[in-house]
Amino acid sequence: MVNKNTKILIFGLLLLLGAALLGYGAFFHSTNISARQGGEAVLLAKSETALIKEASVSGVKRDESGKIKQTYEIGEKAPETCST
Amino acid sequence: MWIQAAFLLVWLDPAGLRMHTMCSPVFHCYACPLATFACPIGVIAQFGALHVFPFIAVGLLIAVGALFGTLICGWVCPFGFLQDLAAKVPTPKFDLPKFTGYFRYVVLIVTVLAVPYFFGEEHPLFVCRVCPAGALEAAVPTMVGQAINSEEVIWPSIFKLTILVLFLFSIFFIKRPWCRVLCPLGAIFSLFNRVSAFFLRFNDDKCTHCERCHKLCEYGIEPEKTPNDLSCIRCLECTRCSPDALNLGSIFEQAKGKK
Repeated sequence: MVNKNTKILIFGLLLLLGAALLGYGAFFHSTNISARQGGEAVLLAKSETALIKEASVSGVKRDESGKIKQTYEIGEKAPETCST
Repeated sequence: MWIQAAFLLVWLDPAGLRMHTMCSPVFHCYACPLATFACPIGVIAQFGALHVFPFIAVGLLIAVGALFGTLICGWVCPFGFLQDLAAKVPTPKFDLPKFTGYFRYVVLIVTVLAVPYFFGEEHPLFVCRVCPAGALEAAVPTMVGQAINSEEVIWPSIFKLTILVLFLFSIFFIKRPWCRVLCPLGAIFSLFNRVSAFFLRFNDDKCTHCERCHKLCEYGIEPEKTPNDLSCIRCLECTRCSPDALNLGSIFEQAKGKK
């Protein structure tokens, strides 16, 4: 059984941790993604929010070398539904 | 019920905002034509497949879990609401052994974390490829749309369809089968039940040991013994016990009380 003060402390720490992770992801975190434009490979930095949107429509994929690639060319229409 | 229905106005995107750049803290497939936000479980799995840490999804679940625990499951989640509506149909209801609740953690570890990370999105056990919420909320409307538009209908896998059929059958005979046995999001929130800001308070001095709360609880929990059980979805049915020995408490009340 967790006592009251410990509960408040744990709650505070968890809330702080959650808010910090959320804030970092929403405003600072970005990932490099390889995309194709006119047959050439281009490196894009996508924010985490953009990556969430891309992932929801299977717009990005990790290849065997570990690179994250956009599944459609720049300028093309993004997929509309998740492939799963 | 009305609170759960009111939250549908948030999750079902009445304004057509399609804010899929953000997660919600509930189980609702982002491929659903009516989804406002992205599913946090889908995001965690997809990011796992990309080997990218999902800061937004994890941060959101930690913050919401720390505040509410499984109160989200009992009062906010649309998939839980669907099961509650199905449970209203007057069919015989069967109970499940309590140990089946631990299977949620297996689903979480295997289909949401391990399989995406080690095998990628293409693996048949990738959570979105077996999820009944995705099948019901996304695959079925998509197939209907394709059929209406005379396009090629793309069927989900047999495995996914089988899980959907089993789910749709079970919700009329078992109360909240997905939440009790398989939901990985409920598994995450349940970990916060013992430390969340809102919790089930048991007043030992008011309890008459009538065990009415055992009958009120539809999930096989003995609330006076384990009020913040991992299996509890905080439906708060047990708070209807007449001596008022069980009620929803919060650390904010306690903090005020201390002053």
